[in-house]
Amino acid sequence: MTLATIQGSSWPRLLLLAIVMPLLASSLPAQAASMSTSLFTESSERPNIVLILADDLGFTDLASYGSEISTPNLSTLAKNGLSFTNYHTAASCAPTRAMLLTGVNNHRAGVPNIPEMIPPQQRRHAHYQGTLGRNVVTVATLLQDNGYHTYMAGKWHLGMTPDLLPSRRGFEQTIALADSGADNWEQKPYLPIYEKANWFADGEETTLPEDFYSSRFLVDKAIEFIDSNHADDKPFFTYLPFQAVHMPVQAPQTFIDHYMGVYEAGPQALRAQRHANAIALGIVPASSPMVTMATTDDWQAMSAEKKRYEAKRMAVYAAMVEAMDYHIGRLIEYLKETDQYKKTIFIFASDNGSEASGLANQNTSLNQRVLRAQNYNADYTTLGLKGSFNAISPSFASASASPLAYYKFYVGEGGMRVPLIIAGDSIPLKNELSNAFSFVTDITPTILALTQTAKPAERYGGRKVEAIIGRNLLPLLNGHTKRVYAEQDSVGYELGGHAALFQGDFKISLNRAPLGNNEWRLYNIVTDPGESKDLSSMMPARLQNMLGLYHQFTIDNKVLPVAANYYAQRQVALNGLQQRFGSQILLMILTVLVVLPFYLVYRLSHK
Amino acid sequence: MKKVLSVIIALPAVMFIMTGLRWLVDPATAAAQFGMPLLDGIGLSTQIGDLAAFFIAGGMFVFIALITSKRSWYYPPIMLVGFTALFRVLAWLLHDATLAVQMIVPEIVIAVLLLAASRIIPEHE
Repeated sequence: MTLATIQGSSWPRLLLLAIVMPLLASSLPAQAASMSTSLFTESSERPNIVLILADDLGFTDLASYGSEISTPNLSTLAKNGLSFTNYHTAASCAPTRAMLLTGVNNHRAGVPNIPEMIPPQQRRHAHYQGTLGRNVVTVATLLQDNGYHTYMAGKWHLGMTPDLLPSRRGFEQTIALADSGADNWEQKPYLPIYEKANWFADGEETTLPEDFYSSRFLVDKAIEFIDSNHADDKPFFTYLPFQAVHMPVQAPQTFIDHYMGVYEAGPQALRAQRHANAIALGIVPASSPMVTMATTDDWQAMSAEKKRYEAKRMAVYAAMVEAMDYHIGRLIEYLKETDQYKKTIFIFASDNGSEASGLANQNTSLNQRVLRAQNYNADYTTLGLKGSFNAISPSFASASASPLAYYKFYVGEGGMRVPLIIAGDSIPLKNELSNAFSFVTDITPTILALTQTAKPAERYGGRKVEAIIGRNLLPLLNGHTKRVYAEQDSVGYELGGHAALFQGDFKISLNRAPLGNNEWRLYNIVTDPGESKDLSSMMPARLQNMLGLYHQFTIDNKVLPVAANYYAQRQVALNGLQQRFGSQILLMILTVLVVLPFYLVYRLSHK
Repeated sequence: MKKVLSVIIALPAVMFIMTGLRWLVDPATAAAQFGMPLLDGIGLSTQIGDLAAFFIAGGMFVFIALITSKRSWYYPPIMLVGFTALFRVLAWLLHDATLAVQMIVPEIVIAVLLLAASRIIPEHE
């Protein structure tokens, strides 16, 4: 810039720069911030991070948490780090993803619920769109700005328009499913509310390969992304949110074969077995009781044919979990072969508890007809294969959540408590369990600490951003402390009128219909993770205090109430109808309104 | 005969109005139906404004013709549809556009039906 231009017409721009630059400077990350709790303070080398998110994986679906399902690679990771037994996430996927990637409460991040479930009266509010707001910064953006390569391969579900896709939220290379789920064998929607399965590559609509199977494909893409920059010295952050084990529950035949005959004792027996296994492994206390969920069908009363069918539904589910683990193993092998494994930290979690929305009777002729309209079937012989629609029954979902109560979409522990494993050669603790309370908002601050990246200031990238509320879990990983939340610290949560608040060892929760009774309950979730004993009448003062904290949480986070007759699954159907057929219905109404007066005048004038 | 013909020409009129309204309600789908991308800026304004007006006015002309039974009201929709077919052919001849037979044929059929109706139905000149 010459003196002439400075003195001439450019001075208003300089004035603007003078105003803007200090603001920008204050919002840029302080990359050299000291990280006294970092595992890497003695080394200049920053770790690679692989953040793996399973979808709808229940609390005891991993072998290291008490499952009969073979998950050797995740077990190896568990032996190489810390497994959390009191980790909580949101009770549904998009809110979890918003908190996981930002460390900010989901209501403040614009994702109070999945968009498919938000009623119109709530959607009028800017923070109730179900898409990740611009008032939050993703961990990917922070890491990218701190010299990391950032990749994503998997389900996004935080917005579908170009400005909301992961390629605009800090991810350098992406392959992303924008919907709540999709078929695992082909590019096909799994629900009639979607016109198509919306996949995007680097922000552009894309088509899937012919030989697509979700877990294999996503790991292939993750490896491809990592390998594309392997030659340079920059560390990477890979976010790998699997479709597994969201419905439709599908898996390759070779994996299904491993579980044929395994589930013939039924869901009650499996729930009991997993409870016993979890106690033996130290996942839950030895004395922890377990309730029988109301959704549990009487296995003994079922016909042999029905038992056979239900057992295969669960076998496919187990196969899908094992397939995911197998492909995680391929990623680990690749990192070992390319000498990147030792400097990589793995974080594995589920986005919510087990899914109990599958039909109790999946292969009825009525359901088969409905499925045929979507080019699906639920035949026994091909269950889980291409063209098959499958989900586990609510009965088996209670086994997947064992020994916890409730499921996905509910604020019982079965909906919110899921596995979390943080592992890597540099993690000091090996093969240990932590019973410390932790929440999904803790993942981002933990990654920031691991990578020596500063939290965003009040402003970032020129705009005001929400503060991270999560806690850094590094002191737990280092073995320096037994808890990161003090006794008096509280964490609130709300989902479509279901409500919960955690404080110390206690939790209050309110579950709405159809499975809940809309009443507040108080539980000690450390001694009684199965939420078998309501303590509200024994500890009324604690209940009142926690109710007050929850009320404050709703004010602080602008939580909107739902109508008394709000029912989430019905809202999904209504929103889906409106989204897919709303314009056609409006068109028909308008056409009638325009044509009708002509018709009436015609009738009158031709009498 | 007159009644049957009235119903026959009322059907495309309803379709015209529905197509015009679709440009107002769901322009992306409407554009796709006509094999064109949805533009932006002034292009989008022209797409929605001109095409919605064309179809809604075309449909309304037919209804007014049926109500008033005056022959002169048939001529505007005949010209709109007939010229559209003619200009599509010119577009093919002069500007290398695709010869959209699947659109030209229905347009000619509708124009002929309207012409026939203008001869048969009207009670007033």
